[in-house]
Amino acid sequence: MSFLRSWQAILALVFIIVAVLAPVGNRGISGSLLETGPEALVAIVLMLVATAVAAFPGRTSFTDGAVVFVGAHAGAWQALALLPLVAGGGAGWGYWALVVAAWLLAWRLVTILSAAEPSSRLLALLLRVVVPLIFGAWLLFLWEVVVRGAGVPQVLLPAPSAIGARIAASTYLLWADFRQTFLKAVLIGYVVGCLAGFLVAIVADRVPFLKRGLLPVGNLVSALPIVGMAPIMVMWFGFDWPSKAAVVIIMTFFPMLVNTVAGLAASEAVHRDLMRTYGAGYWQTLVKLRLPAALPFIFNALKINTTLALIAAIVAEFFGTPTVGMGFRISTEIGRLATDMVWAEIAVAALAGSVFYGVMALIERAVTFWHPSFRSR
Amino acid sequence: MRNLLLGTVALGLGFGFASANAADPVTLQLKWVTQAQFAGYYVAKDKGFYEEEGLDVTINPGGPDVAPPQVIAGGGADVVVDWMPSALATREKGVPLVNIAQPYKSSGMMLTCRKETGITKPEDFRGKTLGVWFGGNEYPFLSWMSHLGIPTDGSPEGVTVIKQGFNVDPLIQKQADCISTMTYNEYWQVIDAGIPAEELVVFKYEDEGMATLEDGLYVLESNLEDPAFVDKMARFVKASMKGWEWAKDNPDDAAMIVLENDETGAQTEKHQKRMMGEVGKLIEGSNGSLVEADYDRTVAILLAGGSDPVITKKPEGAFSHVVTEKAGIPTAQ
Amino acid sequence: MSAASYAEFGPARQGGLAARFLRSRFVAVTVIVLAIIALWYAGAFALNAPFQRELDARAELSPTFVEFVHSTWSQERPVLPAPHQVAQELWKTVFLTAPGSKRSLVYHGWVTLSSTLLGFALGTVLGILLAVAIVHVPSLDRSLMPWVVASQTIPILAIAPMVIVVLASVGLTGLLPKAIISTYLSFFPVTVGMVKGLRSPDPINLDLMRTYSASGAQTFWKLRWPSSVPFLFVSMRVAIAAALVGAIVGELPTGAVAGLGARLLSGSYYGQTVQIWSALIAASVLAAVLVGIIGVVQKIVLRRMGMAAA
Repeated sequence: MSFLRSWQAILALVFIIVAVLAPVGNRGISGSLLETGPEALVAIVLMLVATAVAAFPGRTSFTDGAVVFVGAHAGAWQALALLPLVAGGGAGWGYWALVVAAWLLAWRLVTILSAAEPSSRLLALLLRVVVPLIFGAWLLFLWEVVVRGAGVPQVLLPAPSAIGARIAASTYLLWADFRQTFLKAVLIGYVVGCLAGFLVAIVADRVPFLKRGLLPVGNLVSALPIVGMAPIMVMWFGFDWPSKAAVVIIMTFFPMLVNTVAGLAASEAVHRDLMRTYGAGYWQTLVKLRLPAALPFIFNALKINTTLALIAAIVAEFFGTPTVGMGFRISTEIGRLATDMVWAEIAVAALAGSVFYGVMALIERAVTFWHPSFRSR
Repeated sequence: MRNLLLGTVALGLGFGFASANAADPVTLQLKWVTQAQFAGYYVAKDKGFYEEEGLDVTINPGGPDVAPPQVIAGGGADVVVDWMPSALATREKGVPLVNIAQPYKSSGMMLTCRKETGITKPEDFRGKTLGVWFGGNEYPFLSWMSHLGIPTDGSPEGVTVIKQGFNVDPLIQKQADCISTMTYNEYWQVIDAGIPAEELVVFKYEDEGMATLEDGLYVLESNLEDPAFVDKMARFVKASMKGWEWAKDNPDDAAMIVLENDETGAQTEKHQKRMMGEVGKLIEGSNGSLVEADYDRTVAILLAGGSDPVITKKPEGAFSHVVTEKAGIPTAQ
Repeated sequence: MSAASYAEFGPARQGGLAARFLRSRFVAVTVIVLAIIALWYAGAFALNAPFQRELDARAELSPTFVEFVHSTWSQERPVLPAPHQVAQELWKTVFLTAPGSKRSLVYHGWVTLSSTLLGFALGTVLGILLAVAIVHVPSLDRSLMPWVVASQTIPILAIAPMVIVVLASVGLTGLLPKAIISTYLSFFPVTVGMVKGLRSPDPINLDLMRTYSASGAQTFWKLRWPSSVPFLFVSMRVAIAAALVGAIVGELPTGAVAGLGARLLSGSYYGQTVQIWSALIAASVLAAVLVGIIGVVQKIVLRRMGMAAA
């Protein structure tokens, strides 16, 4: 029976039934879901329709996806609307059943969307962006519901709504921290560190003696834990952003060095022979053949270094800093137990890191479009 | 979820209860690493004072990343050592901490400056770089600057504030003109580093009238409604104060007890003995019970923080004498 | 990896034993290490000199240049400890102190190593499971993978205290919370590497398995898994270094009582720079040894699987 293969629909049906029958709250707020108002009935009906559609794994057309989308989000909307009623740990079995049923429908939705293969490239690109966004939005939804419905203390884990409110209220502060950490320490350290790694790799290539000696030592030095280097850099370079940039340089130097050296060896022997037959010298071969062949490796390092640089700068700021900066804000607000500010900074850091990584990935796509890894399977 | 957490903690405590010869288990979370600042508790454990009261006490040291209010909110401790400004701020944030004992009567916090910077009085701070701890310890400093009318934004008329780490290098490396120190700890680290006392100028918060109450014992308000818990805490406070008395009378031996309990192996005998001597001066005059006049003074300082007060309204029910009274410690009037 | 570049641009280099020895890796590494040590001594002199001048002025000494240089290399709280100071501290805490004592670097190293190994094991298993799920379930690939990448941009040092407190509240203390932080840092390289590895078999080989009417599980065990083993080992080398960093980071919020991270922190706290450097060097040596062990295991396993080559 084909409909039995969509286990998400079966489970969702079970949970919808529980949601209707079991009490919504667990202390004094007895009464079931349907007694909270007409919107609850609408939501349940939409979810039942979506469950019916989701039960057939073969149904993956656009309308089917839309029905499941509406059903899942109606359930989520209802759960959020009921939050004030059950906040502070008052959520009962009915409430959790509603949440789980909505989440199962959302899972089915993601499956449908991932299997879709639209003919237009624009639509395909849109889907590639929308699917992780839906996943992320549902993660936030679950987080909000669990934290507020189960009464998790604010000082341990704040709800996303509180974090959002804090971001809106402290935008100026967050921007000042971002400027200090990202635009000064991270960007400058990243450029200098990657450039230094690249140049040393070229020198090591020209002088094999250095390559034999430097790489093993480099492996050892790159294993130095950054948590230990940061206080030393502060001691040497002072409290302001230069010491943070120094830590970033140390962190980004070795991945770049190792990857460039590997990349310089990546050109095929037959191509190098061809350059010899053309009478090309060392530098011509380097610039026209070996560097372009090394680009995939170099970009691998550049992408890794984006997140490394950000983490390095933030961690370095834990160890002595002027009163501005993302790491500073995180470490002091933890001490004040303002966990919503901490998570607001973390959100900004995650966004900045992902955008930085994404920009580097786009540049890589544009420059090394010829590499096999970009061929669609 | 909170019920689940509390249930698991209760279950764990229950097992401990069953297995430890009916001795009541107590978990104490310290504010910082194992050092003579907390000698009273280590002495009480080592000398068997806790055992005499039928308690099985686990002492968890703190550190730079450990926030005692977070630990107690997460159910990781029954009682924590914290400073009053941080505890009152936490109370406003929704974690209802209540002070049940106050062993430390005086404040040991001070700003230590190099004489060569030309600073002789607080007004000279303008235009200089001051190192301040954060993480909950910046409140007395911010209140003081606000009281003096000195902005902390780095303007020429104000002071430049840097977040100093938990060492004294900023002063030694001349990255800051003054740093925050405790009379019993960092000040002596500066002396040990080779800078003699004649080259230093100190400003004690006690002398400036900006002293706030420091090490006190705090529990969650909801637990105080349980008479068995109050009784357990009363025995704990009684034995702890006995430990403090002993530590004050036998500072060198107390320092050795602390050293034996130091898991990192990083503390030195010389430093701990000196610390114990200085701590003895700070607990002088306290029998463990919080004096309401001291509490009011601290609250007044915290409320007067100008544009960024530490607490926004007068706290209600932030301290209780029910534990110290049960322990037989008279409340000072 | 193809042959070194130098060989194609010069005449063939033969030569006797002495010439080959001079060109060997051993000599190159030794020369570089000696150069670094020389730079280190020079740096120690330069960075410690200002404070030394202050100390001498206070004690009203006027030493000769040689004596001055010598004293910059033997300060108690140097800005940059000289190599021999670090070596002495390492010797003392590793060989001259009983391994069970709390002052021994061996004891602290073992504490860090135990949580590193546990975190690494958990992280590898988690990474492999995630990768298998991502490769076989298309919805997970589209939705989960970007968030796995984003998860690594969250600074672990910021949420480590929260993780420790939450785990302590459910009764998990000691080794496991630190291991979980190591797991968080080490699962990502394994996931990325294994996803690439499980997708690395040639399409032609996948087609071949279809002609044999192999089931999904058979294709996995007979084709995808063996092709992914080289990627697995490369990722494991990165993962174990990340697990070590995670273990060190995890020690800080647990009161920093034991482990190399605690040693780093207490050294920084008391201004014992020699202690900081000896803990740092111990940590990097530990990381290098662990990565080396994985490299050796990689060679053995790949040789037995018949994939020994580059």
